[in-house]
This record gives sequence, structure tokens and C-alpha cells, in this order.
Amino acid sequence: MRIDSLILRTAVRLVLPLTVLLAIYAALNGHNAPGGGFIAGLVTTVGLCTYRMAFGERAFHRLFPVHPRWLVVAGLGLTLVVAIIPLLAGEPLLRSASTVLRLGGQELHLVSATVFDLGVLVVVVGVAVGMITRLGEELGP
Amino acid sequence: MTTVLAICVTVMVTVSVYLMLSRELKSIAMGVFLLGHGANLAILAMSGSPVLPWGGLRQPPILGGEHLVDALPQALILTAIVINFAVMGFFLTLLIVTARKTGTLNVDELAGEEPPRSSPELASEPAPVAGLETRSVAD
Amino acid sequence: MAPADPSLVLAAVGAPVVAGLATLLIPRAQNLARVLLAACGPAASLLLLGVHLTRYGVAPNHAGTTSINWVPSLHLDLSFLVDGLGAFFALLVAGVGVLIVFYSRGYFGNDASSLARFFPALGFFTSSMLGVFLADHLLLTALFWELTSISSFFLIGWERDDETAVKRAMQAFFTTGFGGLALLGGVLLLGDTTGVWRWSDLVATASEIGSSGTVVAAFVLIFVGAASKSAQWPLHYWLPGAMLAPTPVSAFLHSATMVKAGVFLLGRLLPVFGLLTIWLPLVVAFGAVTMLLGAGLALRQHNLKLIFAYLTVSQLGLFVCMYGFGGVTDGHGGSAIDWDLSQIASHGLYKAPLFLIAGALAHRLGTRRLPELFGLWHRGVSGSRVLVVVLLAASYALAGGPGTVSFVAKELFLGAAHHAAASHPALLVVVAMAVLAAACNVAIVVRLVATVFGWRLGVRDDLPGRDVVHGKDRWGPVLWVPAAGLVLVQYIGGLLPPVWNSVFRRLEVNVNDEAFTDGLPWLWEPFLHPGAPLAMSLAAIGLGVVLGCSQRMRGDIVDVHDRIYPVTYRLILQYGHRAFHGIQTGHLRHYLVFVFTLLLLGISWAAWVDPAMLRLPDGVAPFESLTGLLLGAVVCAAAIALPLVTERVVRVLVLGASGFAVVGLYLLYQAIDLALTQLMFEIISVLLFLLVLRLLPRLDRRPLISPRPRLALAALVGITIGWMTLLAGHAADQRTNEAVTLGAFFEEHSLHGTEVTDGRGGEGRNIVNVILVDFRGFDTLGEITVLATAALGVWSMLPGRRRHRNDEGQPGTIAAEVER
Repeated sequence: MRIDSLILRTAVRLVLPLTVLLAIYAALNGHNAPGGGFIAGLVTTVGLCTYRMAFGERAFHRLFPVHPRWLVVAGLGLTLVVAIIPLLAGEPLLRSASTVLRLGGQELHLVSATVFDLGVLVVVVGVAVGMITRLGEELGP
Repeated sequence: MTTVLAICVTVMVTVSVYLMLSRELKSIAMGVFLLGHGANLAILAMSGSPVLPWGGLRQPPILGGEHLVDALPQALILTAIVINFAVMGFFLTLLIVTARKTGTLNVDELAGEEPPRSSPELASEPAPVAGLETRSVAD
Repeated sequence: MAPADPSLVLAAVGAPVVAGLATLLIPRAQNLARVLLAACGPAASLLLLGVHLTRYGVAPNHAGTTSINWVPSLHLDLSFLVDGLGAFFALLVAGVGVLIVFYSRGYFGNDASSLARFFPALGFFTSSMLGVFLADHLLLTALFWELTSISSFFLIGWERDDETAVKRAMQAFFTTGFGGLALLGGVLLLGDTTGVWRWSDLVATASEIGSSGTVVAAFVLIFVGAASKSAQWPLHYWLPGAMLAPTPVSAFLHSATMVKAGVFLLGRLLPVFGLLTIWLPLVVAFGAVTMLLGAGLALRQHNLKLIFAYLTVSQLGLFVCMYGFGGVTDGHGGSAIDWDLSQIASHGLYKAPLFLIAGALAHRLGTRRLPELFGLWHRGVSGSRVLVVVLLAASYALAGGPGTVSFVAKELFLGAAHHAAASHPALLVVVAMAVLAAACNVAIVVRLVATVFGWRLGVRDDLPGRDVVHGKDRWGPVLWVPAAGLVLVQYIGGLLPPVWNSVFRRLEVNVNDEAFTDGLPWLWEPFLHPGAPLAMSLAAIGLGVVLGCSQRMRGDIVDVHDRIYPVTYRLILQYGHRAFHGIQTGHLRHYLVFVFTLLLLGISWAAWVDPAMLRLPDGVAPFESLTGLLLGAVVCAAAIALPLVTERVVRVLVLGASGFAVVGLYLLYQAIDLALTQLMFEIISVLLFLLVLRLLPRLDRRPLISPRPRLALAALVGITIGWMTLLAGHAADQRTNEAVTLGAFFEEHSLHGTEVTDGRGGEGRNIVNVILVDFRGFDTLGEITVLATAALGVWSMLPGRRRHRNDEGQPGTIAAEVER
């Protein structure tokens, strides 16, 4: 499915980086402000889908060369690792840890749950993009 | 607000059940989809009205404000939306595959596709012990 | 004395299965090593049990070993009870097990693949049997009980390519498995009622168990389990049916082990339930009927294995009856059981040889039918005379001739029956039945002897006898030596009682008659003190000889009870199919209507219980927020429009419109996360729907099903759900700030913890996100797994373009095809 429009292509070229930035911001900041892995994942997916619509399947494959299933595998693996690490320390599953990082006067509050959220993001992107591209491929070029 | 929500839920559930009882799998898919929205709104109603008794609205569930909205229904709904998404993708793929395999999306025709049948293998029974005699035993 | 350690017993129970599995590692050709290794299993059990018994002695039946924790929450631990009863049966199984291993080498000959397959199954079975006999925990007994059913299934269905054998194996499995379920139910009921989960403790507290209805129910259920395993009428049909198994299996299962499990269980139950008034009538009735029926059926069979099978059924009935007499309560409070273990042992010591010889004859001559054995002694088939000698020696014991243990055993049983009848005159019927059954045994032996020697009285028919002589092999003697050894023990016990007594006196618990306190008597003693038992024995022998010589009751008949299982099986399938077709119509609409009706009924029931649910709550304020009202109107309008429009793209857009209005409602509810997620979701889903609709066939325009009932049901469901939402939401509105809610907990602990959470908080300000990734992180983990699974489903149902191209040539054709 492709919409052949110069305006759309130009717009998408501008918007896609912004969407990705927004998603990363939402994922990292989700613990303290609206956002989080699910939202970030869906935002990324919408951005990628518009790109696919504007530029077609081939261009999309150049942008997104891996099969989405590897994203799902990676995301699930990441969340599982975060979930299991506390077990090794004798803590309950998924017990979160946090540290405060000082970077040039700025305090950065790092929570292990954020990593978990990143895993969620990756899974959501993998699943959503995977489903849409798969169904899109069925339609043919 | 609760009243408005309750009316919305009523309408959405009615329409979705109506759609789910139809013959077309496509309509049924839409019914299921709408039912998801309705259920989410019903859960949302459990957090109580966001309008405070003295007017004004409650604050979003982010620490720092006063009179925060109950966060738990929101967390549940967030989960539900994402699961809804997965179910929908699966359902739609199922529709495609069904249409390809059977050429129809009519549930009544699909019901006639493969009637459950008794297997002849199961219906047979062991012969009485006399069968022991007729059999040439290997030992 | 300190409680014994269970590890030796555990090792003894495990040894056969370990050895059996280890034989799989031996190369195919190494049959000798395979046999020796397989024999090591039960031999090790014997040795370990011997060590245990020398170290701790024979435990009294209320002193189990200490337990190894296994599943304490289920009252299931590994502890064992090595009392006389358990130890005797375990030694019997292990001892016969060793002999069977060697015998099977002779039986299967050089068939390496059969042997390789046989020993693991045999080891599995031996271990489960040992477990049943030694377990102290009620549930452990039930567990091993089921394992014996499973492992015997493998053995009975040995000829796996033979459909009949497999069906027989299933028949045995379902019948004993059904009993196993009853046993499990009874055991659970008993343990739950009494709070005691070990046999030893139950024996110790037997007087406190009482005779409430639950205890009686538990006993009856356990009895059903025991009766099914020990082939009591009317479930006895599985035992003759299981005769299709190879002879080593028949000999092992049906003479010494599996069928004795029920008898053993009755021995376990006697000290616990013996005082129940139901014990005597229930146990004796089933035992006596089985005893006579089995003997009568055995008399009218021509197949040696079936004869012995029905005789086993009869003998099992006798044992059950014997334990039933244990419930006799006369004026002296004495029980009517004497030397029960010796009686059971004597049966194993002639029945196993009989089976073994039947198998050996079949191996040598290719037949097990009695008429075809006519005149075998004079035929001079090589190696058959020694078989006949052992067969006759064992048959003599079967008839209960003087000089064997079974003579004394029969005396003991008749004496017990006589003793019991003294206080319960109704039991005289059982005495008469016992004499008749014994006469049948004698008659069978008379016919057997006459047939083998080719006398006129023998059984023969018009079919010519066959002489199919198998080639001799090195292992030939293995076919009869184990049998001869067992028979020899039978005669040693009968002729030299002190030898027997020195072993069994230590194991026997039930010694009540003063005459037997020192042991079994010498051969001549019963004749010096003639009494009722001797008279009954002589009557049985006389009657038996007459019956054996007569031409009556010679037919080769089929037991009517063989129909029970097939008929039950067919009825279950028939009604199962009927019920299935009644419930599973295959129409989605029927299922939905069913589900929604149940939902409505459930809620109506709740409203009937609490009529306050039907009242409109106070303070309903529909006009609080004008924005909310408008958004609600959009949602409703879009929803109502959905079924009315028919153009599919418009429908999707309408669906999307209703979703976007929901986004607005979320915003009004201050749910920013939700609104964002829903927005993205809505975009993606509209996209997906549009994509998919192009792939699907168009809506067909045939007349719709009448919309009115649909609408009625839908409206009912909708109004009910909406009403519930109103009630619940309103209750939330009325909540005061003091109310303890889960939401408040999350709000409090979102950033910093309190002592409730061990000082740990979520370290985040966005409560929704903290709930998702911290408090309920495990749910989220599950949720993304669901996502991944759904994606996997999509990918596997639509396996991708590249593969399509290979399969079907052109990628685009499918869509085109569907469009058509």
C-alpha cells in the first residue's frame, strides 16, 4: 500500500526523526511524566507506517532491514533479563533498583524499570510493525 | 460523568453484541473491537467522576498534584488497549486465512464446513475373551 | 526404637526401574549382559530390603519410617512402612521379579529387540509394585497404584501391533484405572476427615476413627479400588482379558503381584476399618461370589492360560473373603484370620509355576489348548516330560493335596470360615461356596492329569493335535527351572514346616488361633486332630474327583461379564457423541447466545438476592460536564451508525470516529497516557482494518437474519452492563477520602516506600507507569508475551511472500482470487 505524494514524502522525511525522538523521550521519561514503553512503541510504529506508506516497501526495508521478529526476541529477552537479575541477588523477581547519576551538576535518576520499559517498547514495535508489514505484503505492491 | 459513561457503555455494548450476532465475520470483528472500547470505558467509570464536588477537575495521576485521579483503572485499561491491539491483529489475520481456505466469511456456512463426526476407530470395541482362542498366539 | 530411615527402602523401590532403564544402554547383541543387568534391579531390591530388615527388624504396623519431604502442602511425603505385610509382599515381588527376568530370556529367545523393550517396562512395573506395598503415605500409595496401572498397560499390550491385545490392555487399564480413581477419592476423603495421612498413624489411632458416614464412604471407595485391582466380581473380566500378554507378564502380574495389590490393600485396611459393621458383609459378599464364579468359569475353559486366569480370580475372591472374616466380632473379640500371608504366599508358589509352564508348553508345542495337549506324556516331544512333571507338581498344590503349603492354607481358610460361621450363621453359605470352589479346583486337576496322560476321561476334541516343536536353545532350561524352584518351596513348606515357620512367623501379624501360634503344623497333625476343616477338605476332594470324572461342565464357554466393558464403552461413546452434537452445534451465534444468556441469568440472580441493585442511586448528575456530554454523544452516535452503514470503508471510518471520541473521554478523565495510547492504537487499527478489508471478500447481500431478536438480546445485555457500570461508577463517586483503595496504595508508594513495602518505592512519579513496570511488572511481562504470541500467530498463519512465491508461483494471485 503506497500513497504517491510528494507532499507526504517531504512531510514524512521531516516528521519521522521527530517521532522517533518523541518516542525515546516518552520511553525514558515515562516513569515520571506521561509516557512509557507502550506509548513510545506505538508512536514509533505510527511513524514507521507513515514512512512505509510514503516511500513504499523497498525503501522501508532499507530503513528497517531486520525481520521484526528479532525485535520481539530482543525485547522479550531484555525484559526477562531485567526480571531475573534480582533473583540472582536473592531478591524477588522484577524487584527494581535505582541509582542517581550526577552529570555536570544535573541529577539523573536511573531506575532499572526504565530498562524494562525499553524492552516493552522494542516488543511493541516488533509486534505492531511485524503485523502491519506482513498484512501489507499480502496486498502486494 | 459516570452517567454519561454508563450511557456510552450501554450503547456500545448493545451495538457490539448486535454486530457479534450477525452472520458476517467482518461485522463480528468490528463488534469485538467495539466491545473492547466499551469494556475500557466501563473500567474507566470505576475511577469515579473526574469532576470535583466543588467544580473543577481532578489532576492526572502524576505525583505533585492535589486530588489525583485513581491510577489503577488507567493502568488496567492501558494493558487492555495493547492486548486489544494484539487480539485484533490476530483476528484480522484469521479472517484472511479463513476467507482463503473456505471462500466465505459467513459463519453459518462455516459451521457447515466440518461437522464433528464420530470416528469409526473409536466406535469399535474389543471382542470378547473368546477371541483369545481364535488368535494364533505368538508364544 | 527410633523410627527407621527411609533411604534404603527408597533405593529398594527405585532399583528395578533404574536397572530396567539402564539396560537400554547395553548394545543390542549383548543379551546376556542385558539379562544380568535387568535381574540386578529386583535382586538389589531384595538385598536392600534384607539390609533394612536386619537393621531395623520387621516394624509393627503402626511404626513407619521417618519421611523425606516431597510435597508437604499436599500431605505427600516419602515415607515407608516395612511391616510384616508390606515386607512380605515386597519380598515376594522382588523375588519373583528376579525369576521372571531369567524366564523371559528363555521365553523371548534370541529376540533382542523384544528383550530390549521388555526390561524397562518390567522394571517400571516392579518398582511401582514395590512402591504400593511399602508406601506409608496414603497419597503415595495412590500414586504408585496408578503407576502400576500405567506400567501394566505397557506389559499387557505388549503385542503392540495386535489390535486385540491393545484393546485388552486398554480394558485392563480403564478398569483398574477406574478403581484407582475410587481409591484416590477414598484416600482423600479419609485423610481430609481424619487429618491423618499415613497408614501407620491410622493404625495407631484406629479406635478414634469412628464410623461416621464419611468414614464409611471413604472405606467403600477404597474397597472399590482394591476390588477392581484384585479382579473381584463384577470387574473381574479384565484379568482373563489380560491373558493376551506374553507369559512372563501373565505369570508376574497375575500370580504374584498386580492382582495381589487389592488383597494387600485389604490387609492394610483391616486394622483400620475392621471394626466397621459394613466390613464383614461387604468384603465377604464380593469375595465369596468371586470365589465361586471364578472356579466355575475355570472349570469350563479349554485354554490353559484362561483356566489359570479364572482360577486366579477365584483365589483372589478367597483372599478377599479371608480378610472379610477379619471383621468377625464374636464374644471373645477374636478375629478369624490366621496366617494370611502364608496363604497368599502358597498361592503365588503354585500359580506362578502354572503360568510359567503354560507359557513353556506353548513355546515348545505351539498351543495352550487343553485338548491339543491330550496324551502329551506319551508323545515323546523332547523336553516336554520335564514340563509335565513340574506342571503336575504345581497342580497337586493347586488341588491342595497334603504335603504342600496350600493344603495347610486351605485348612486355615476353611477353619476361619467355620470359626466365623459359629458367630454369624449366615456365613455357612460362604462355607458351602468355599467347599464347592475347592471341589472345582480338584476337578480341574483331575482333568488336567487325565488329559496329559491321555486317559479316557481327559479333555479332547475332534481337532488333531499339533506338534510344533521349536528349536532348542541354550536357554531352554530357563523355561522350567524358575517354576520348579517355586514349586519346590511349596513342598518344602508343606513337608518341613519349621523351615517355613522360621521365615513367616516373623512376618505374620494375624495369628489368632492358639493351635497355630507356633507355626504351621506337620503334615500328619491335621489328621491326628480331625475337625470340621478336615472334613470339609475331604468333602471337597471327593466332590472334585467326581466332578472331574463326569462329562458335565466341560464346554468351552465365554463369560457373560466379558460384555460389561465393551457395552459400557459403546454406551459412553454413543451418549458422548449425542451430547457433543447437542452442545457443539458449530454455530458461533448459538455459543454467543448461550454465553450472554448465562451472563444475564447470573446478574438477574444477583439482583434477586440483593434488590438494592435495582434502585437508581442518589445524586446522579448527568450534566456535570458539557464536554463530557458532547463527547459521549459522539461516541454513541458513531456506535449507532456502525451497523447502519454498509459501505465498508465508511464503516471503518465510523469505527475510528468512535475510537477518537473515546480518546476525548480519556482526556477528560485526566488519563493522558491512555489518551496517547488509544490515539496511536486507533491510527494503527484503522490502517490495519483498511488493509485487511481489501483482502476480504465483499459483504454478501443475501437477506440478513431477522434483526429483532438480535436487537432485543443485544439491548438487554447492553442495558445490564451499562447499569452495572452506573452502579459501580456511582459507588466510586460516593467514596470518601478515608476509604482504603488500591489506587491510594499505589499513589502512596509510587515514589517512596513505607514499611509496608520494606521501604521500597517505585521511584517514579507517573503512577500509571509505575504500576505497569514495577508493582505489576509481572503482568506486563505476561502481556508482552501475549503480544509476541499473537505476532507469532500472524506470522505462522501468513508465512510470508518469499515462501508463497515458491509455493504458488505468483504472489499477487491470492488477493485477486479472494476479490473474485
